Amino acid sequence: MSIKTEDKLATIGIIEKNFESLNYICNTQIATAVFLAYHLEKPVLIEGPPGVGKTELAKTTAEMLSLPCVRLQCYEGLDESKAIYEWKYGKQLLYTQVLKETLSEILEGAKGLTQSVSKLHDFGDIFFSEQFLEPRPLLKALKEEQGCVLLIDEVDKSDHEFESLLLEMLSDFQLSIPEIGTVKAQADKKPLVFLTSNNTREISDALKRRCLHLYIPFPDADLEEKIVRARVPDISNKLRLQIVSFIQELREMDLKKVPAISETIDWARTLILLNTEILTPDLVRDTLNVILKFQEDIETVQSEIQTITNKALKEKDH
Amino acid sequence: MHRILVDFIKVLRNADIKVSPAETLDAMQVMEVIGARDRRLLKHSLSITLSKTPEEKETFNQCFEKYFSFANHHEANEKRGSAYGLDHDTKKGSETEETSKTNQQSGGQGNGQINSWDEEEETNKSLEATSHLGKLLLSKDKTAVMMFVVKAGREIELNQIRFFTQKGTYTRKIMDSMGLKDLQQEIGTLNTSGSRSEMLLAEKLKNSREQLRQRIREYVEKQFLLHADSSGKQLREELLKQIKLSNLEKRYFKDVRELVFKMAKKLVAVHSKRRKKFRRGQLDVRKTLRKNMQYDGMFFDIKWKASKVDRPKVICICDVSGSVSSYSRFLLMFLYSLSEILPKVRAFAFSSDLGEVTKLFEESTLEDALAKTMRDFGNGSTNYGQMLLDFKDQYMGDVNKKTSVIILGDGRNNYGDPQVEILHEIYEKAQRVIWLNPEAKTSWYMGDAEMKKYAPCCHQTEVCNSLTHLERVVSNLMRFSF
Repeated sequence: MSIKTEDKLATIGIIEKNFESLNYICNTQIATAVFLAYHLEKPVLIEGPPGVGKTELAKTTAEMLSLPCVRLQCYEGLDESKAIYEWKYGKQLLYTQVLKETLSEILEGAKGLTQSVSKLHDFGDIFFSEQFLEPRPLLKALKEEQGCVLLIDEVDKSDHEFESLLLEMLSDFQLSIPEIGTVKAQADKKPLVFLTSNNTREISDALKRRCLHLYIPFPDADLEEKIVRARVPDISNKLRLQIVSFIQELREMDLKKVPAISETIDWARTLILLNTEILTPDLVRDTLNVILKFQEDIETVQSEIQTITNKALKEKDH
Repeated sequence: MHRILVDFIKVLRNADIKVSPAETLDAMQVMEVIGARDRRLLKHSLSITLSKTPEEKETFNQCFEKYFSFANHHEANEKRGSAYGLDHDTKKGSETEETSKTNQQSGGQGNGQINSWDEEEETNKSLEATSHLGKLLLSKDKTAVMMFVVKAGREIELNQIRFFTQKGTYTRKIMDSMGLKDLQQEIGTLNTSGSRSEMLLAEKLKNSREQLRQRIREYVEKQFLLHADSSGKQLREELLKQIKLSNLEKRYFKDVRELVFKMAKKLVAVHSKRRKKFRRGQLDVRKTLRKNMQYDGMFFDIKWKASKVDRPKVICICDVSGSVSSYSRFLLMFLYSLSEILPKVRAFAFSSDLGEVTKLFEESTLEDALAKTMRDFGNGSTNYGQMLLDFKDQYMGDVNKKTSVIILGDGRNNYGDPQVEILHEIYEKAQRVIWLNPEAKTSWYMGDAEMKKYAPCCHQTEVCNSLTHLERVVSNLMRFSF
């Protein structure tokens, strides 16, 4: 298994090709990041505007390596009992009940209090043991036998405290559980960690220092076209070119939320459903809500539709 | 190789990219994994390892291009050729008359360099140069020459260069360390020998010596830009702290923002210390179990997932009237960055009538927001009384024990009714009232200034017209909270 993984990540070119076969089109920078993440055993912090395929990168990597993808979605108030581990309280309670009943058997033959206590000490402490441990995503990722891809999604949504909680995991691939000790990943099966962030708040330097930092910007026209081709293979060449140049034009405008790749793909699918051959201003007006998510933005673009569409139509003549 | 990398990281730090020692080690590992053969790959990889924000990445790219420009100086020279080609030729012409001919032939486009390198190769078959440097120069291997230059530069510790006046000295030093003396001697002997082919060789050598000098000069120039900037920056920061805020330019705004960021962070920290145990909420099973083990496992003392962090609530009121017009830009900058950092800042501006600008600040860029605020509220005559009345009418209900109220202004009320009792009411209701006044303390009580009346209704009053002041205010805020 590990040899296979090694092969798939052998060079940057191979990674790029493998991604492409899974319909994830990336540039060299992204492939380089994955390559380095594997060879340096370092987590990758992926930043960029929403909808450029940050989460997708982690998922695709997992698919490529045919490893399970363990995902931890971050949100405000996320704490260790949801991210790392939790005790199985019900079973623990039952255990104490059972213990109470069998107590006399265990202590049989003990004379006096001191002897009983020392006998109790000899008796293994199961109450806080792995049997009663409920692993959450982070712990699960460490224990995964084949190794795995760990995706910590939208880490910027979590609290500062949680960030510090991640540090141990990210730098040493280990977690400390006070009652048990330290859980470590197997040396050659360390999880490949991806963190994503939308930059709603600044990630702390301590966390950044432990990660490789990949910034994925909006793609240029060529790359976007390739992505649409890979994701929506049914679309005609002409329409694809028009869509892409239209979207690229929109990104230049002063909008509250500019359309991302995922919107481009959605739009392409929508237009196919509508049996579109060629982009027209009317059609754009009707489907604008697929690519723009704010009424203000739609209003801003409405007035410009004619010009942008014409521009996009001209593009294909080049 | 490591040496080069360490130097490069020094350069990055000069350029304001924070690179920790741990990251330096990472970068070395990266070099080991990917090697240094592929320049683009190296750039990507190092960029991923060393620069951690989009801004840093941009700076990184610039530094990388500058620092590693020798690796592909062929291209670089061709590209930049026309830019300094002219300069290059005139200098040469004045220094050596012979060379001007060849240069004119090859045209002043700067490609001259490349052409003449080639010509030398062709005509030089008959005679070999004897000195080391001469041989190197006449061989076509420009990379080797450059490597030699870099090596020499390292030997004489070029990265110690601090002032632009040192450029000449360092150029000379590099030339010397590369063996200029031997070359000179050779040219001398060749010239006196009298034979035509030897004279020709001497000419070639002279020619390439000048080209070399030119190149070294460029190299020194670049290194100067890379290495000497840091001391300049420190100097600038020192100055910046003392500059009156009224003179702050927009380009320094980044630094202001950093300071304000620090301040805001402290504000947040102060607030989040106020945790309150709640009597309800989610059951904390773990704590309850632990606690109740001693009661024989009966749930007797129940624990809740308790503390809830208080969000800081800051209300910031900024005077933008004529009397503080020179400061209002800074005050607004402060206000703007504060609202960028703290989630719940409500920003107000006034000359006489109070207006809320929270939304404007959220939606516009700094420039827009400042301009619009100034247009809507700015430069009227001050009326603090009216402001306080407005505040009482509309916003008093929002002030509670968790609110900090920050007032930015000079307290000059044009002899109007100061409405102190309203401020007092705020003082009673709010957690804190802070007044930041851009005027020196001595003039607080002169003329129409009402600070004398307002000050007792504030938890804290501070002079604040330079970044040093601002820092002091921040640390005072800290002390105040305990």
